[in-house]
Amino acid sequence: MKTETYTLNLGPQHPSTHGVFRIILELDGETVVKATPVPGYLHRGIEKLAEARTYTQVIPYTDRMDYMAAMLMNWGYVAAVEKLMDIEVPERAEYVRVIVGELSRIASHMIATGAYGGDIGALTAFTYTFRDREYVLDLLEMVSGSRMTFSYFRIGGVAADLPEEFFPAVRKFLGELPAMCDEYDGLITGNEIFQARTKQVGIITPEMGINYSLSGPTLRGSGVNYDLRKVRPYGIYDRFDFDVPLGQNGDCFDRFRIRIDEMRQCKRIIEQALDQIPEGPIMAKVPKVIKPPVGDAYAEVESSKGVYGCYVVSDGSPKPYRVHFRRPSYINLGYLGKLCEGWKIADVIAILGSIDIVLGEVDC
Amino acid sequence: MFGQGLIKGLQITWGRMFDKKQTVKYPFEKIEMFPRYHGRFELDVDKCIACGLCANACPNKVIQLEKEKVDKKQFLTKYIMRIEYCLFCGLCVEACNKDALKFSNIIDMNQYRRSWVRLTLVDRPAPEPTETPEEETPAKEAKSEAAAGQAPGKEG
Repeated sequence: MKTETYTLNLGPQHPSTHGVFRIILELDGETVVKATPVPGYLHRGIEKLAEARTYTQVIPYTDRMDYMAAMLMNWGYVAAVEKLMDIEVPERAEYVRVIVGELSRIASHMIATGAYGGDIGALTAFTYTFRDREYVLDLLEMVSGSRMTFSYFRIGGVAADLPEEFFPAVRKFLGELPAMCDEYDGLITGNEIFQARTKQVGIITPEMGINYSLSGPTLRGSGVNYDLRKVRPYGIYDRFDFDVPLGQNGDCFDRFRIRIDEMRQCKRIIEQALDQIPEGPIMAKVPKVIKPPVGDAYAEVESSKGVYGCYVVSDGSPKPYRVHFRRPSYINLGYLGKLCEGWKIADVIAILGSIDIVLGEVDC
Repeated sequence: MFGQGLIKGLQITWGRMFDKKQTVKYPFEKIEMFPRYHGRFELDVDKCIACGLCANACPNKVIQLEKEKVDKKQFLTKYIMRIEYCLFCGLCVEACNKDALKFSNIIDMNQYRRSWVRLTLVDRPAPEPTETPEEETPAKEAKSEAAAGQAPGKEG
C-alpha cells in the first residue's frame, strides 16, 4: 500500500508551544518524519535596541528575554559590563545577587514544572505551581518593586538593599519549599499516566547533548555533570555547598524531575547565603556616566534554562557598540527537529515541554 | 502497585480542597502592595527643579518635560509620561536627585482609550516673572489643577 506524508502546522498559536513558536511537522500517519522549528515570531531586536541605549539602559531590556527568571538575565549582562570595566562588586551585593538569582531560578523551575504538567494533561499541577510561584514573586517584589521584569541589577551592584521584612519572609518560604516540592512530586512525578507519557520518550544521549551544545537541565537530564556554578564558578558560587541533580536516561521524565530537585538545591544555596551575608555597601564605585574602555568582554551565568552568555563590545562611547546574548533556550531548541523524528505527535508536545523554552529568550 | 501514584495525587488535591482560599475577589478586595512597588508615578512639583535627569535616564523616551526660565530659575510647565511605552524599570526614579519623582502603589492604570493612558503629572502656565509676591499663588493653583487634570478615571 502506498502512503503519503502530510504536513501539519503546530503553532504559532498553540498553548503548548509556550508562546508564539511554530513547528512544521511532516507526518506519516501519526509518526513524525521531519520536524522543522520556526522561531522568530517574538523577535524584538533587543541586541539592536541595545546599541542605541546607554549601558545602564540596556538592563530593562534583558529582563524581557527570559521573563520567567529575569534576575538571571540581568546578571549575565551586568557581569559582562563589569568584566569589561574591571569593576569589583561588593561582597554584600554578590550575596544579594545569589539570593535573588536563586529565587528567580525557583520561580522559573516552578513554571517549567507546572507548565509541563499542563502540557501532558495534568492541568491541576499547573495551578499548584503557580500558586507557589506567587510567593516567590512576592519576595522579589519586596526587593525590586516588580513582579516579573525586575531590572534590579546595576552595573557594579544592585539597585537597592534587601528590606528588613525580606529576611523573615524568605526564611518562611524556604521552610515551606520542601513541602511544595513534595506536593509536585506527589501530583505529577509519581503519577503513572505522566510517567507512561514521559519515560523513555525523547531520549537525548550525552554525546548528542554535548554535540548540540545543550546546557542546563536539558543537558543534565542526560547525566552530563555540567553546571557553570560548579565547573566554572562565577560570582561567589564556590563558597556554597550544593549538589547538581543529574538524570540517568536523558528522557523527558529525567529532564522534568531534575528541575524539582534543583529547586531543593536552590533552597540550600539561599539558606547558606542568608547565613553568610555580610554588612556593607551594595554598589561599587561606578562613575555616573558609564564609559567602558575600548574592548570586548564575554561573561556567562547559569540561568534556569542553561548557560546564558553575554558579549559586549565597547568603542569607548557611553553606548555599547554591540551586544550579543547567548540564549540557552534558543540553543537547546536547535536539537528539537532531530529529537522529534520518529515520535508521535503527542510526544512532540512532551519533548518540547521538557526542553523548557521561553519564547522571549528564543527570539530575543 | 499501579495506580498508587494516582491515589496519592488525589489525596493531595482532596486535602487542598478544604484549604483556605489563595485568591481575593479583585475589584472588591485588594491586596496591599509592598512599599517598593512600581506603580503609578507621582511627582512632587515643589521639589522638582526641572533638571531633566529622569528624561535622560529613561531607556524608552517616556518622559517629556517642558520648562521656562522664570527669575533665573527653571520652572516646570509640563511633565508628561507616555506611560504606554513605560517599562517600569525605575531608572527615572533612581536618577532623581531631589526625590521628586516617586512610585506610588496604585496599580490600576487601565483606561478605555489609548489616548487616556498618557500620564500628565504637571501642566501649568509659567508665572509672570516681574510680580514676585504673587508668584506663589498661580503656581499653587495650577498645581491643584494639574492634580485634577491627571489621566481621567484614575480611581478605577
